[in-house]
Amino acid sequence: MSMRRSFRATASAVALVGAAALTLAACSSSSGSTTTTTAGSGTGSSGTASLTSLQKWPSSSVALQETGSSLLYPLFNLWTAAIQKGWPIVSITTAATGSGTGISDAANGTVNIGASDAYLSPAQVQQSPGLENIPLAISAQQINYNVPGVTGHLKLDAATLAGMYTGKITNWNDAAIAALNPGVTLPNLPVVTVHRSDGSGDTFLFTSFLYAADPTGWTVAPGTTVAFPNIPGAVAAQGNGGMVTACKSNPGCVAYIGVSYLNQAVAAGLGYAELKNKSGNFELPTQAAVSAEAAGFASKTPANGAVSMIYGPATDGYPIVNYEYAIVPTHQPSTTAAQAVKAVLAWAVDPNNGNAPTYLDQVGFVALPTQVQDIAAKLISKIS
Amino acid sequence: MILVHRPDTETDVPAAATSLPGGGGGAGGPSGPDDEGGSGSGSGRAAGAAPLTPAHRRGWLPQVLRGATAIPLVLLALILVALAVKAVPAIRYNGFGFFTRSIWNLGNLYAPLVTGHGVTHPPGAQYGALPLIVGTLVSSAIAVVIAVPVGVGTALVVVEKLPPRLSVAVGFCLEVLAGVPSVVIGLWGVLTFGPFLSHHVATLWANHIPDVPVLRFFRGPTGNGQGLFTSGVVLAMMILPIIAATSRDLLRQVPRDTVDGAVALGMTDAEAARTVTIPWVRAGVIGAAVLGLGRALGETIAVAMVSGSLISGNVHSFYSAFTTIAATIVTQLDSALTDVSGLATDTLAELGLVLLVITLLANVGARMLVKRVATTALPVGRGI
Repeated sequence: MSMRRSFRATASAVALVGAAALTLAACSSSSGSTTTTTAGSGTGSSGTASLTSLQKWPSSSVALQETGSSLLYPLFNLWTAAIQKGWPIVSITTAATGSGTGISDAANGTVNIGASDAYLSPAQVQQSPGLENIPLAISAQQINYNVPGVTGHLKLDAATLAGMYTGKITNWNDAAIAALNPGVTLPNLPVVTVHRSDGSGDTFLFTSFLYAADPTGWTVAPGTTVAFPNIPGAVAAQGNGGMVTACKSNPGCVAYIGVSYLNQAVAAGLGYAELKNKSGNFELPTQAAVSAEAAGFASKTPANGAVSMIYGPATDGYPIVNYEYAIVPTHQPSTTAAQAVKAVLAWAVDPNNGNAPTYLDQVGFVALPTQVQDIAAKLISKIS
Repeated sequence: MILVHRPDTETDVPAAATSLPGGGGGAGGPSGPDDEGGSGSGSGRAAGAAPLTPAHRRGWLPQVLRGATAIPLVLLALILVALAVKAVPAIRYNGFGFFTRSIWNLGNLYAPLVTGHGVTHPPGAQYGALPLIVGTLVSSAIAVVIAVPVGVGTALVVVEKLPPRLSVAVGFCLEVLAGVPSVVIGLWGVLTFGPFLSHHVATLWANHIPDVPVLRFFRGPTGNGQGLFTSGVVLAMMILPIIAATSRDLLRQVPRDTVDGAVALGMTDAEAARTVTIPWVRAGVIGAAVLGLGRALGETIAVAMVSGSLISGNVHSFYSAFTTIAATIVTQLDSALTDVSGLATDTLAELGLVLLVITLLANVGARMLVKRVATTALPVGRGI
């Protein structure tokens, strides 16, 4: 008799646990979808949505989450400080976790705004139809190196960089590098390549550049996560900050780092290269060269904002230039959140506010051209 | 009088490693053939006998507790089933080559998805876990090889040589070390200990080792602190408290009469330890080593920080970057979420299953080893 009772007890406990587990599983599977509480004003929006009209700040307090690109992170922090000072009702939490995380977190609704240097892939757009990539500013990427004894800027191009990252060029005194830098004494120093270990928009930009400029030497397709050829001694680092630290502690390193970290890299003793553009000129990532490159793409930017500005035709343009995107789901969890997101993004794109030189000059970015501002405004107005 | 001890045929390892597997407790009179103690518990009553308290006073608690013993089983089953279900597409796609390949390629995430092996995936996706499995096994092996002699030696000294107050202090330090969170140890490893090991310790021998086939592994550049050597030492530090504390408890159970008898016959302390004490606790120490091995196999965050995260390359030197299964799962999860086909996250689930199987095999192997070791009679006559 006690056996039967203990069997019943066991069975009831198992049933309880099973039911609890099932309910937990059901709850967690539905957490990915966000519900919209009002009918959106986004469908069929008119072309007259202006940036000023979108900057209507909410009247009740709201907390927004942003995560993603470490390239955009320093600028987004400057913006956040100014917004929270002017409109304390909005509080924004930022994090630098890499563009890959920015996209996936925005896609599953974990954050309100994802930051990414890379636009959405066709597969990502297909899987999350409500996801947009909104251009916020124009940034660039430099190639840093740690070669003691070399003053000034080394000249590099896609072929030499592809050679370093595929293991064909193993030493800084290689003939290919010397050919680009006549008169510079290159030391006998092994090359240590540094790449990103996290899903990174910087990796997307760098691989896009190599793929576009040297398709025979670099056959790996661009992406935020890419299988870099396995070279002995290659180092992986997390985030742009990690790249600076890794390059600093590895003499002979070559690393691709975002321009918002250029000051930090130079302070750490790293040099940065003059890159060869499509016209054959060697350019530094100055704001002038970045503007020149982006100017050619202003009219080519489609309505969804996704375009690659890598290795463009501008004769004095810097070859690695991109839009910084806010990856935003058009359906936000609440009307207040949607209103706040629209206001924040419109403020950021406004050339009198977020896109003013006071902010952009601090990170070496360039303002969006007027045509692209309009594209961004239309995309922002779709958020509800 | 020399005691003859007949060890138990039934040993209970590793969950109850603190109980003496070598037989019934402590020093005492000669143990006879009827002192089997089949279930290993200290009670004199057989398990499953009728409870002493009458039914009307027993209450509901014992029933619930008896049913609640099923909860761990149910949870384990849920985890295994969930992992297995998630991993099925990856198992189908990766095949047996998963265990022989050395590549980790998510494929071209910006190209349209294709179908192959019954699974939709990005073109070019290829996964191989050989470096991960080798890295897990090798780093755990290094940790055990370092920690077992040090731990058992520490325990021997604490039990046999140190005055009581000092042995209590050392025991306390061990417990504090066991309580330090892994992430703190990882942080210390990456900032301080790793660079110290590679710049000051490894350089003592790295350049003086001859270029001979096996020893070649220990030659070469000692790196910047993130690699196999640092990870092995850090893991050894983490499992040392388990092994030392368990060995100390085991050594306390060794009957003093036997050891005193050996010393009275003219053995030195070291010989007495080698021929009497160590064989007595051998089975228990193996159990403790397996506990430590289990922790080392699954250790995630500390290894992720000090390993250098080299996913698609095989380990070629003692100081090179590498990775383990657990570290890969945690560092690659964000990147894997950017793969909208889900193949990357399914492959991580497959990795989790592989790790579970490795840990299970280690436990089963240890049980078999303990059984073999424990059933041989104590070689009392040896070495005298």
